[in-house]
Amino acid sequence: MTDSFILLPIAIPFIAGIVVLLINQRIQSVKEAITLLATGATLVLTITFCKENINLTIPWTGFGIDFALRLYHFSAFILVAASAFSFLFVLYSCSFMRNKPYLNQFYSYLLITLAMTNGAVLADNLVLMLFFWEGLLLTLFGMIAIGRPGAFKTAIKAFIIVGISDLCLMMGIGLAGHLAGTFTISKISLSVDSLGALAFILMMIGAISKAGSVPFHTWIPDAAVDAPLPFMAFLPASLEKLLGIYLLARISLDMFKLTAGSWISILLMTIGAITILLAVMMALVQKDYKRLLSYHAVSQVGYMILGIGTCLPVGIIGGLFHMINHALYKSCLFLTGGAVEKQTGTTDLAKLGGIAMKMPVTFVCFVIAAASISGVPPFNGFFSKELVYDAALERGMVFYLAAILGTFLTAASFLKLGHAAFLGKRSEHNENVKEASLPMLVPMVVIAAVCVVFGVWNYLPLDNLIKPILGAEHLEGLHMAPNTMLITVTVIVLIGALLHHLFAAKVNGSGYKASDHIRHAPFLEGIYTKAEKRWFDPYDIVLKIIQGISRFGWWIDRAIDWLYDDFAVRVTTGLSCVIKLAHTGSYSMYVVWSLIGVLFVVIMLMKSF
Amino acid sequence: MLSPLLLLPLLAILILNLPFRSLMQKLAVWVGVGLSLWQIVAVVLLAMGHKSADPWGKFFTLGLSCDNLTLVLLTSIGIVVLTTILVGWQTIGGDKQRFGFMNLVFVAMIGMNGTVMLTDLFSLYIFIEVTAVASFILIAFQRDTNALEGAFKYIILSATATVMMLLSISIILLVVGDTSFAAAGSAVRQFQGNPLVILAVGIFMCGLLIKGGVVPFHGWLPAAYSAAPAAASVLLAGIATKTSGIYALIRLTTSVFANNESLNNILLLAGAISILVGAFAAIGQSDFKKMLAYSSISQVGYIILALGCGTNLAIIGAIFHLFNHSIFKSLLFVNSAAVETQSGTTDMNKLGGLGTKMPVTNATSMIAFLSTAGVPPLAGFWSKLIIVVALWQNGLHAYATIAVLASVLTLAYLLLMQRKVFFGKLADGLANVKEAGWGITSAATILAAITVSVGILFPWMFNSVLIPISSFLK
Repeated sequence: MTDSFILLPIAIPFIAGIVVLLINQRIQSVKEAITLLATGATLVLTITFCKENINLTIPWTGFGIDFALRLYHFSAFILVAASAFSFLFVLYSCSFMRNKPYLNQFYSYLLITLAMTNGAVLADNLVLMLFFWEGLLLTLFGMIAIGRPGAFKTAIKAFIIVGISDLCLMMGIGLAGHLAGTFTISKISLSVDSLGALAFILMMIGAISKAGSVPFHTWIPDAAVDAPLPFMAFLPASLEKLLGIYLLARISLDMFKLTAGSWISILLMTIGAITILLAVMMALVQKDYKRLLSYHAVSQVGYMILGIGTCLPVGIIGGLFHMINHALYKSCLFLTGGAVEKQTGTTDLAKLGGIAMKMPVTFVCFVIAAASISGVPPFNGFFSKELVYDAALERGMVFYLAAILGTFLTAASFLKLGHAAFLGKRSEHNENVKEASLPMLVPMVVIAAVCVVFGVWNYLPLDNLIKPILGAEHLEGLHMAPNTMLITVTVIVLIGALLHHLFAAKVNGSGYKASDHIRHAPFLEGIYTKAEKRWFDPYDIVLKIIQGISRFGWWIDRAIDWLYDDFAVRVTTGLSCVIKLAHTGSYSMYVVWSLIGVLFVVIMLMKSF
Repeated sequence: MLSPLLLLPLLAILILNLPFRSLMQKLAVWVGVGLSLWQIVAVVLLAMGHKSADPWGKFFTLGLSCDNLTLVLLTSIGIVVLTTILVGWQTIGGDKQRFGFMNLVFVAMIGMNGTVMLTDLFSLYIFIEVTAVASFILIAFQRDTNALEGAFKYIILSATATVMMLLSISIILLVVGDTSFAAAGSAVRQFQGNPLVILAVGIFMCGLLIKGGVVPFHGWLPAAYSAAPAAASVLLAGIATKTSGIYALIRLTTSVFANNESLNNILLLAGAISILVGAFAAIGQSDFKKMLAYSSISQVGYIILALGCGTNLAIIGAIFHLFNHSIFKSLLFVNSAAVETQSGTTDMNKLGGLGTKMPVTNATSMIAFLSTAGVPPLAGFWSKLIIVVALWQNGLHAYATIAVLASVLTLAYLLLMQRKVFFGKLADGLANVKEAGWGITSAATILAAITVSVGILFPWMFNSVLIPISSFLK
């Protein structure tokens, strides 16, 4: 196998994406077949050489910017994961997206996204990575924009937010390249002092905003409602997490020498803790299946950032493990949401309920994934969260408390979601609901099964996939023995969440209303109301400020307009009228003018001598 | 080579007025076309340094001379006379009328050619008067109230100018006993400060300012231009008044009147006032030809302004603008002639939407107005640019600013004209309007082509053609 083979994971999906875009809108099955084939081929290809170590450098633009690709265990791992997820989502979309508009655009964007992701992961040159990274911005915009009518606004919101953070990434890359004297990732090694810290923070903004951390998350809940559902499972739930956390891990492990004591580590952990709590608080009170999930997609990023931010081997392993676990259970959850939407026609929790018996497979998958995200043993989320707790506790009690409180609220909100969506009284609307079709069930079941496997046999992914990433020097002195105290606390918290839910559901009347007492709690009531009115959305705040500036500019513009359009015209016509009035047509008058002129000229000339 | 420029038109008039009237009436137009084309060819030959023997020269002691300024003016005269003849051919009905018109044009041609070639004050005055007399009759050609009124105003003011010029010449004759430019010039320098000489200079200049239609001596101009038949307007606005007023002023300022500061200040002031008054008055006009007449005043203002600046570059700019003005203003008057003959009116409020009906007129008018307003890369832009640069270099920042800002006014009123006449919805009763005849359209096309090509070729022309013009300056 020659080295240039690693171009194929980029080339195959990209070319297929272009082909799909060109195929006639009506021939659905051909498009689906091509997409499936392309993603399948990419998956097989990536699996076959996932054990290899390949460096490929093709001269590109010069100035130290080469088309450099590097395949090693970390990038191979992300490649396989991205390709596998893509393959499953395409399979799912074959049923879900059937007869939806803009199908060729959807598949094309999906394939190009995969190509760009593979490119960004493989890239061993920062500028090349940025090139692929920006390509993702375009497909992101496209995929949201083809959602339901009105999605365009959300697409613009996402485009602006992600675009601004990409700009930060670009500046960070420029600065890092300047400091290190090279753009080749594997050769960069910087310390996080003054300028290095700035470069790190700029690149970090790019990474964590791709992963969807607070405060760059606000487009995700909007997109959950507006964009086609497989998009949510595909980008915010899985591929963007993989990419964002991959980059965060790369910059904090390889490119910058981040140590446990530095203030950047504290900053990262703080961002992580705030992300966990803010997003989960919002998730708790959502009344829509997809919106609720989307806030969790934000909240869980907090654990990964917290884990990596600890700068302890345990935490980093936990964060990375949580990354892959999250991609698994969150995409599974979105897929169940899609199945529910397809079969019942709604994702409004008020209209759902009692469909567990009608859709047993979907329900079981949901339960597994929900247990996993809540950190219930023995599912995969439990183990990764335990590792993060361990590291967080070592760095500071407050981070641990935030994490465990997040777990409590996560569990509470998923109990509410499951209760409201699948259990409880069945409305008449849902009497004839059937189980979803096979192409939709297969991806769910596969992913749910992986959740279980990664949980029960967690040493498999940990030893084979995660630990090699850190390298031997990080692993020295690593103790990963189960911490009994932590496990006990977790279990108690989970039982507490269950009891809380049962009690709240009883008091409030139904599972759907189980979080109402929090929503209407004395202090939180006002905050929630304002949050729902988007008072805290940075995008809307900035938008309002810009609107203020533009209104001011508009007044200035009016004034200038008035000066030109009104004032100048009035002065001109006024002068014109005066001059016209003076031209009476009387020749004697004209002669008089001339003579006055002569007089003036002669006097002027005489005066000068 | 020079005297034929005077003698051939004279000969043409004589022969055409022999018997065989009906034949001669048909021939007249061809003779005119031939004469004007020959004049252009002669200028080209002269410019290339072709100095053939002048066999008739020895019978005359007129003292003709020819420098680069004269060549530029002769070219303009040739082009505009050709245009006038083409337009007159198309627009003036009746063989007899047309024949009379052609004869008058030849007279005016003699007058103008003489004005630009002669080298003494008295002969200059004579030929200015020859041009003026032809002009009076051309303005009154239609013999209606307007035409007679316009002609009358011109005669009255022209007479004032005549009196002043004659008085001035007699003073100079009294002082030096000679009226040649050289003698008069040295006299003016010699008797600097003498009130009589100053008076002579002042009133001669005022006489020329009246002829050129500079504010406040311009009272006759709008009425005369708008009352004249379309073809005569082309001749008057394009070249006749420019030759008798502006050319003479350039010539006398540079070679006779001592180049003193207060003279320059008067010219600068008169130029700036002309630019502004002409432009503001033009904005208020609803008559196509009247608007063009006021526009003429405004454009002449630029030439006077540059003349007042007095540097070599400014005078090159003035001469270049004079040439450009004779092209694009003739073109605008040709277009107004096309509109007038085809639609029967020049009232812009009754016109509208003629652009699709008269594509050639529309396109050429657009070129002309853009050139007038000084939009690159047309010829008008370059001459205005030279003038503004020269003013700025000489420290006359206020005047330069006026010149630039007045371009906006120029654009405003010409755009207004273009919109009212050619753009927008077709006005009532114009459904059957057609493009003007080939005489008018070909004249318009030639003029537009000159404007465009001069504009585009300017970068090559600047050093090879424009700079050498200043060689007549001592």
